[in-house]
Amino acid sequence: MLFICFYICSHRNLRVGSTFVTMIPGGQSLVSSPPVFSHDGKKLLVCTGCTISIFSTSTGMKITELEGGHTDRVTSVVVVPVAVPSSKFISYCWTSSIDGTICYWDFSVPELIKKVKVQLPIHSMVIPNISCTPIGSSEKTYNLYAFISVEDLTISADENKAFRGQIQIYNLTKSQRVRGLLAETRKPQLLSVSKNGEFLGVTNKRKLDIWKIPSDDFRIDEIKKIKLHHTKKLTAFAFHPKLRMVAGGDVTGRILIWIGFGRRKFSGDSQATDKKMNLTDEEKPGVRNNDDADSCSTWHWHPSEIKFLSFSSDGAYLYSGGKEGVIVVWQVDTGKKKFKPRLGSPLLYFTESPDPSLSCVTCADNHIHLLKMPTMEITKSIAGIKLPFSYPVGHKGLCTQVAYDETAGLIAVLTEDYCVQFFSLFDNHEVSQVQVCKRNFQPVDDVTLYVALVSVSLDGSLMGTVDVKIPEDGLGGLVSLKFWKRGSRIAEYSLSTVVYEPHSDAEISSLAFRPGHCMATTSSFGGDFKVWIHNSDIKLNDQLHQRTGWRCQSVGSYKGRPMTAAAFSADGSVLAIGAECVVTLWDPDSNVLVAVIGDTHSPITSLSFIGNSEYLASLTGGSTPQLAVLSTSKLRLSWSYKLVAEALSSSRDTSQFAVLVLLNSQDEVDVKENGVILLFDVEDPVPVATWMVKKAKGGSLAFVPANPSFDEIKAIDGEKPSLLVYVNGDHEYIIFDPHNMDNRIGKSSQTSQIALEETGMFGYASIYGDLSNLNPKQDQVPEITFPPSERPWETIFNGSSHVLPPLTKLCSTFLASLIEKKPSMNER
Amino acid sequence: MADESKPFFPVESAHHVKPPPPRRAQSLTPESRFWRSFRHSVLASGLILPVTALEFSPVAPYHVAAACSAAVHLFDGAASPSLAPLPHSPLSGFSDVAYSPSFRCDGALLAAGGESGLVQVFRVDKAGPPLRRLRAHARPVRVVRYPRLADKIHLFSGGDDALLAYWDVPSEVQVVSFPGAHRDYIRAGSASPTNPEVFATGSYDHTVKLWDVRVTPGSNPFLGFSHGDPVESVLFLPSGGLLATAGGNVVKIWDIISGGKLIHTIESHNKTVTALCLGRIKNESPSHDGGEPRLLSVSIDGYMKSFDFATFKITHSMRYPAQLLSVGFSPSGNARVVGTSDGVIYMGMKKWKRQEEANGTNAASELDGFIPEPEKQVLRPTNYRYFHRGKSEKPQDTDYVIPRAAKVKLAEHDKLLKKFWHKEALVVALSKKSASSVVAVMEELVARKRLLKCVANLDVDELGLLLRFLHKNATTPRYARFLMGLTKKVLEMRADDVQSNNNLRIYVRNLKRMIAEEIQIQRSLQEIQGMISPLLVITGR
Repeated sequence: MLFICFYICSHRNLRVGSTFVTMIPGGQSLVSSPPVFSHDGKKLLVCTGCTISIFSTSTGMKITELEGGHTDRVTSVVVVPVAVPSSKFISYCWTSSIDGTICYWDFSVPELIKKVKVQLPIHSMVIPNISCTPIGSSEKTYNLYAFISVEDLTISADENKAFRGQIQIYNLTKSQRVRGLLAETRKPQLLSVSKNGEFLGVTNKRKLDIWKIPSDDFRIDEIKKIKLHHTKKLTAFAFHPKLRMVAGGDVTGRILIWIGFGRRKFSGDSQATDKKMNLTDEEKPGVRNNDDADSCSTWHWHPSEIKFLSFSSDGAYLYSGGKEGVIVVWQVDTGKKKFKPRLGSPLLYFTESPDPSLSCVTCADNHIHLLKMPTMEITKSIAGIKLPFSYPVGHKGLCTQVAYDETAGLIAVLTEDYCVQFFSLFDNHEVSQVQVCKRNFQPVDDVTLYVALVSVSLDGSLMGTVDVKIPEDGLGGLVSLKFWKRGSRIAEYSLSTVVYEPHSDAEISSLAFRPGHCMATTSSFGGDFKVWIHNSDIKLNDQLHQRTGWRCQSVGSYKGRPMTAAAFSADGSVLAIGAECVVTLWDPDSNVLVAVIGDTHSPITSLSFIGNSEYLASLTGGSTPQLAVLSTSKLRLSWSYKLVAEALSSSRDTSQFAVLVLLNSQDEVDVKENGVILLFDVEDPVPVATWMVKKAKGGSLAFVPANPSFDEIKAIDGEKPSLLVYVNGDHEYIIFDPHNMDNRIGKSSQTSQIALEETGMFGYASIYGDLSNLNPKQDQVPEITFPPSERPWETIFNGSSHVLPPLTKLCSTFLASLIEKKPSMNER
Repeated sequence: MADESKPFFPVESAHHVKPPPPRRAQSLTPESRFWRSFRHSVLASGLILPVTALEFSPVAPYHVAAACSAAVHLFDGAASPSLAPLPHSPLSGFSDVAYSPSFRCDGALLAAGGESGLVQVFRVDKAGPPLRRLRAHARPVRVVRYPRLADKIHLFSGGDDALLAYWDVPSEVQVVSFPGAHRDYIRAGSASPTNPEVFATGSYDHTVKLWDVRVTPGSNPFLGFSHGDPVESVLFLPSGGLLATAGGNVVKIWDIISGGKLIHTIESHNKTVTALCLGRIKNESPSHDGGEPRLLSVSIDGYMKSFDFATFKITHSMRYPAQLLSVGFSPSGNARVVGTSDGVIYMGMKKWKRQEEANGTNAASELDGFIPEPEKQVLRPTNYRYFHRGKSEKPQDTDYVIPRAAKVKLAEHDKLLKKFWHKEALVVALSKKSASSVVAVMEELVARKRLLKCVANLDVDELGLLLRFLHKNATTPRYARFLMGLTKKVLEMRADDVQSNNNLRIYVRNLKRMIAEEIQIQRSLQEIQGMISPLLVITGR
């Protein structure tokens, strides 16, 4: 028996080649940490799991990925600024990760240059003096010091009052830790640094700790610190780019602006300021506890916790956002507000780019929106897979929030804002979103309207959704069943029919489409199931056209029992309905009960016909969970296990099926939610293969055919491979070949989507063009700059002949480029 | 670069049945707008016999000649707002029915044929006996045409005796004659716009022949082709290289220069096409930048169609309540006349007539060629309009139009819901008296879990509004399920208020009565069901 243990995050160890890998991971969270713009504002660096994905800001497409450096979640990215325009092509960045390493990358190539080991999990990293030593400047280079917020693993998490977080200083140039701790906190905190690298700050419960960073001499005991006090827990803060001003946001949604902080302590002589202090003591409106600030004012608009605060680059505006999903733009001088509403999700981070007309906002639903700045219009969206949401308390039935369009390799995800998101499994990007309920979404605590079910027909041409409105005190509840028809493009659906209260007021337990027919069935907890058919255009009279749409063909029930699951057989000839504890088989055309099989002790939650065999697998939940395989030809139970199964999927053309099993029973609370995927052959109760997985609760499984576009290896074998998709509870997924783990499957090459050469300009340059270089020395020697690529000869001779310098001059450059060696390779 | 953030969805009742989208009025093309801009009227209602021909004078003020019964009627093109008969009209020197009036190129003389076979030439400016009488035809003369170009002394005529004659008018002598030019009646003819010696004739023997009087009679006709139907009308198009012929219910366009090749066939009429003429589409402004030429055709099916022979497309079609026999279009472009078989002449006039006349002398040559560019008046700061210039500037075809984002219009209750003013939204919807929007607001409040709180907060007047709404709509089948429950809740919650207020008590009494009625209806329905269901069971067996 094959036994492989893997975690979604550490799968990179198994990576083989660049285009053929054993597993395709996907659905990573884009919003685990704030994204960072490259120095020219053309690229956006986003932490995606243990890699950093680089997106083009003009197209919103992924350009490349920095991988191989980290083995765990990347927590922060710091881009090295560039001073001289000639070194435009150089792009370096520092990244830190939970695995305790700091990496130095050249992200234009992309290539790992340097790796620094810290040993402790890094939760946040800033490099304040990075702007002092930009690349390409001829000045003396300083040592780079990184301030990192790490988690002390020696203290266990159970101790409540323990200080687990530490802020340390690390000399990146010498790969050495500076002795001493800057501070200790309960939990590792997010560090923030002012734009000129002068101040470093961290929120510490109801206080704001601010340090003044020395320019070169980094000794712990010489770094000065002030505290600013507030009465509520602070959640976000930001430094003003020019003035001595800091803004802090708290859990109640207030924004506090401290002006002129640290004037006493940070400005040199402590004795001189002591005298001043006594004089100015009374003239500090709003400042608590005799804090070191001139004044403190409060703004209040947000009804709930503030997630981010950010000053605009000129310091005139302050951006704030939180759970309501509205960006508020405050004019700093006057406190006047402007709003950018309807972003559809709680907001997490706001990042300004070096290009003043571009910034991005990160939403909690795994989306990053690029905003065109003064108008705050969304130009592009970088869409990750949407995250699962919690069902309201009264919800019965299945908890899976996904469905699969297997032929197209798409996953349909139910979202909190009443949409169905179609996400391409192989390409790892969003295809489309279908708005199911036309209602303005507001992120609130208690869900009153939600999309409960989605089902996509086998060929993907039909989709059914069920949305439920929860009644208020028994009033105004509504269940509506919607049928959608696919448009001309893939995953574009238009509404075909709406059925209000299809089973009076009972909730729908499942929705299934009949393969090969325009027919669907819904089963309800109210004790009946309905078969729906699609009316094609029938011409009754010359004038009267019957409108096309879905209508109920027949209604069935079995002893008044609640119908809990429904499935069609692969050829569509048999309809299996789980009537609480027994499975009833029906002829879908004539609506005749054919047979009744099995008798479990608790209600059936899921049914599935297994491929082309005559077997049927059922899952039951409740107090006596069970996985049972029933034979439809012998009409009896074939074999069964007592397992807590979360999901079931069967491959279409073989007799195998996979079950996702939770290792703990439902009563226990296991934090890690580990699970096992079991692959069974239907004849044999011994599993064919087993895989350990994490976060199995709320996960799901599906067999998908290999993506035909890059199916090169398998074409030789002649048989059509089917891959298994496992989606975990956080909607991260992995695709692998269940039969042979060594088989490489083609990964869609993301690099093909590289954006074309981006030659846009912004700011001053966009109006007046590039400033000519006024350095007279450089005028005498015409110099050709080119990106340090592996084949520099391609770029040297690029351009029209009248622009090119004479060949005699080019020759030396050309030869020099041939013998050029990359210094980065040695350092590694 | 559309903003991809979510649109604003106004509240909508779940049971609200959307009305079908309103039929969108067909957007008018500039062409049809032009044709509709004519003011219609009826001319010469005294006539009862068919108007067989209509002809505009080629020079200002563009008099119109209409052949009807035994007279040629003349109308003053300068009259406003509609054409009026000239004082010496009609010209009545005909012993029998008059046919085919034709103006000389300078507009001073008019020639017309007649049933008697006599071709007569009249003065246009005053009454009097015919100046010349051309006798050659033995049968009725249906075609008399002056050359279009500056040839003042010749004309040609064709008659039912198949004789085609080319006359020297002053001496009343036939210069050339072609006896047996066709094998049937000659019913159509047109002079070339580029050459005074060339003309085309069409006949009931289906053929169209082109003649040139300069060549020897033996080589005439120099071109002939078959239209396929009896030819009713022949017309040279402005270039002189194309010829339009009408016969049966088709109009055909021929290329003469390449030897009579058929270029296009227009089959847009249902009945015989009776006449053709040239029109011109003009801009609204009375400038002389020409305008595209159009071929107008009329038919006895009552339609007049405008055909763009540059793109070979029908651009406009217009229906009249009678059989149409003749059509004319003023060279000035502001008048259009259509003659019918019952003697009515329908006329369309445009408004800019006055200005048109002032510089109308150019218009004669307009159909044929060069027009001097009129001088554009330059606006000066002394002019009031100078300060308003460019305000109503229309985008040109080459301009890239950036549309202003459409303003989202929200209903009052939507605006209040946006501000989370729930009770106010409910009250506003209740006072608007649209049941579906009230239910929509209520459903939205349910989704926000605020409905019952709103009901609890209503003051007495607003509660009265709510009770009245419930009285009216609670039994509407579409909303009954929701509203009945709500009624019950409202009465439970606000029992004290209802008892203390007299007005509210009246509302509740009404509600009670309505519910009693509803129960009665339900009971009778159940009775009917009880009667029917055994019958159904029996028939089912």
